[in-house]
Amino acid sequence: MELQDIYYNKFEYVETASGNKVSRQTVLCGSQNIVLHGKVIVQSDAIIRGDLASVKTGRFCIISKGSVIRPPFKKFSKGVAFFPLQMGDHVYIGENTVVNAAVVGSYVYIGKNVVIGRRCVLKDCCIIEDNSVLAAETVVPSFARYSGSPARLVTTLPEAMPDLMTEFTKSYYQHFLPTAAVK
Amino acid sequence: MAHNVKILPGATVCEDCTLEGDITIGGGTVIHPRVSIIAEGGPIIIAEYCIIEEYSKIIHKKSEKQENPPKPLFIGAHNVFEVGCKLESIFGHIGESNVFECKSFVGTSVRIGSGCVIGAACNLTAPQTLADNTVIWGAENNIREALEKQPSQVLQLDFLGKVMPNYHRLRKQNFHKRQPSRQSQDGK
Repeated sequence: MELQDIYYNKFEYVETASGNKVSRQTVLCGSQNIVLHGKVIVQSDAIIRGDLASVKTGRFCIISKGSVIRPPFKKFSKGVAFFPLQMGDHVYIGENTVVNAAVVGSYVYIGKNVVIGRRCVLKDCCIIEDNSVLAAETVVPSFARYSGSPARLVTTLPEAMPDLMTEFTKSYYQHFLPTAAVK
Repeated sequence: MAHNVKILPGATVCEDCTLEGDITIGGGTVIHPRVSIIAEGGPIIIAEYCIIEEYSKIIHKKSEKQENPPKPLFIGAHNVFEVGCKLESIFGHIGESNVFECKSFVGTSVRIGSGCVIGAACNLTAPQTLADNTVIWGAENNIREALEKQPSQVLQLDFLGKVMPNYHRLRKQNFHKRQPSRQSQDGK
């Protein structure tokens, strides 16, 4: 199935040399601690909290509208620390989702309105369905599909998941186009 | 509407948030960017050491049976409002050490004691009173009682208070003397 073209206002997005498309309406706190590895789309009203700890994403990540990427904190006997948040390649994050995970692997699909609790670990190739709530410190194994509140395993995924996600994120990036020349 | 925002010394309030109406923010409280606090039905008083994270909404709703002068909405100390939670209240008081987790919703006619946890994505809309140490969790809004007190967030607040000024534009504190507690009680 071919994706429909998604048009965005050319003046709203900034395109960097490595192909990242970042909306001007985002809140990127501590931008020196945020690494977007190229061809990443960050849509409007997304918040990435690089001020708390560093945030790294891989290539072809899509961070949709209104989502919040925020490094998790952990309490120690002496003080607290915010952990850096790492994200693999080909990750899709749906609208209005909150990601407090410690690690998000590659080829991960996170639906919309999802809450990923503190210090969750999402291994490669997993799907979190829309409106799920992943309790704090959950580890989602590879090829698992999680759903519900608190989210539990529902089914497993086909072995072709990496190819499917690569295809999906790449075609999303290719169909995310600036509005046709303003007349 | 009178815009009267008092920020007491020691509070960290980002500039990129919506504060409307008569709001008092206590010392040590941290307000992250993109927070909306709207006091349309009366003043909102936030006590010390609260954390209010991104996209939270705290609204003091107008009610029909409003007293004149309007009662303030008093939010006790050590409350945590996580990302995207929404609190609409017409009652005058919210206890201490509550946690409103991500995307939770607390409607207008809910009374909240102290030490309560409203779980992630839980919705409370029906009129009810949460006793102290109540925990609401899961998709079916299950209720249980917390066995231990909610851990205090002072360490996290220390960290945020140190780090946030380096990265954010902050609103300046504009109220230097501690507000006498009488003032808030006069309205009751």
